[in-house]
Amino acid sequence: MQMKLYIQAYYKFNPFLSNCIRSHFGPLLNSPNFASFCTTRERFNKNLMEFFEDKKNWGKDEIRSGRSWKTDELRIKSNEDLHKLWYILLKEKNMLLTMEHFYKENYILFPSPERIDKVEESMKNLETVVRERNKAYYMLETGEDGERPGVMVHNAIGLPMYHKQEQHDIPKYENIQWKKNNVHEFDYEECREFLKLYREKIRKEDNYRRKKNNRYVKGLLKRFKNVDIDYLKEIYPDVNVDQYKNHDFQIGHWEV
Amino acid sequence: MSSRYYPIYQIGNPQLRIFLPNFWMKLVKPTEKQPPNVVQFKVPLAMTNYDIKNYLQKIYKISVMHVSSELEDGLIKPVFKNGYLVKEEDFRRAYVTLPRGTEFIFPELDCEEIKTKSEKEKEQHLQELEASYKKHTQQIKGRFGLPTWFTI
Repeated sequence: MQMKLYIQAYYKFNPFLSNCIRSHFGPLLNSPNFASFCTTRERFNKNLMEFFEDKKNWGKDEIRSGRSWKTDELRIKSNEDLHKLWYILLKEKNMLLTMEHFYKENYILFPSPERIDKVEESMKNLETVVRERNKAYYMLETGEDGERPGVMVHNAIGLPMYHKQEQHDIPKYENIQWKKNNVHEFDYEECREFLKLYREKIRKEDNYRRKKNNRYVKGLLKRFKNVDIDYLKEIYPDVNVDQYKNHDFQIGHWEV
Repeated sequence: MSSRYYPIYQIGNPQLRIFLPNFWMKLVKPTEKQPPNVVQFKVPLAMTNYDIKNYLQKIYKISVMHVSSELEDGLIKPVFKNGYLVKEEDFRRAYVTLPRGTEFIFPELDCEEIKTKSEKEKEQHLQELEASYKKHTQQIKGRFGLPTWFTI
């Protein structure tokens, strides 16, 4: 069997040798095994060609496509359908990425690249739906959502940061590599100085925004007589509207 | 599961399985000459050789004999001449060998056809523009500066 395979391989790739081999092993090559061999070769080619687009669409300026999947549409589907759809989308995405690269190498514009965004959006939507179901299942079974646990910690500079937790083989005090990469404390004076200045900057920005809003509300009250004050309070919750409502400087140009 | 967080595997535990893999794969034209049963892929950095093999076998139904891969830096190049530098993303280049006797010939685009087609379209568009400009200028021949709708 092995010998036969070797011969077939030789026959394929060395056309110069083919005549010699045909004279020696002619009946072997014409056996039914050879035909099956050919079919396998074709099959591999076909499966790998799934990475490429249909040859009809090659070199077109525009390829039309529908919109992406919405979450409300995906919520109706069963788990099995979602699982199938995920793999279809994944294959589509791979195909689009390879075609993008393919066109780029040939110095030609990739037609309708928004397809990649559409596929990615629908994949994201699908994942949200699956996550919802997963959460519901875990809440029923264990009383916790099966999400990855995390905590708010301080950075090495002193800024707040969300740290995603993970499982380890060894305890924390023994894990030197983890300690090097994850520093959650700041004990330097430079850090404190930086934080002081950073907070001052944030405070100044907040002040500026607050004053600007106040000024705008004052102007509105001055210009327009019948302003909906409840709506103003809704939009600008920081501004004390009642204070400015009947103030002396709110006397407008209208006739009393 | 879909939170992309897998518990640590210890001996005796049930095998970890991925239900919704989010790895991508790009089939790339080989940069150098290689045997006909070897195919090149670009994959994300986190993907292992075992992952690549499983990915191709389970999703695409391709029988894989051997996989070897290497990390590669993305190119660093200036945007304009003497401009700022931009680095492309790093990736992993995978060499997948198919069983003996099979071969994959990388397809080729007919660049000339596409370019000639696009040039023809451009010429057509230019001609249309010229015709419309002529029409417009003839309409407002005696009264320059007035719009075309200002006629009797």
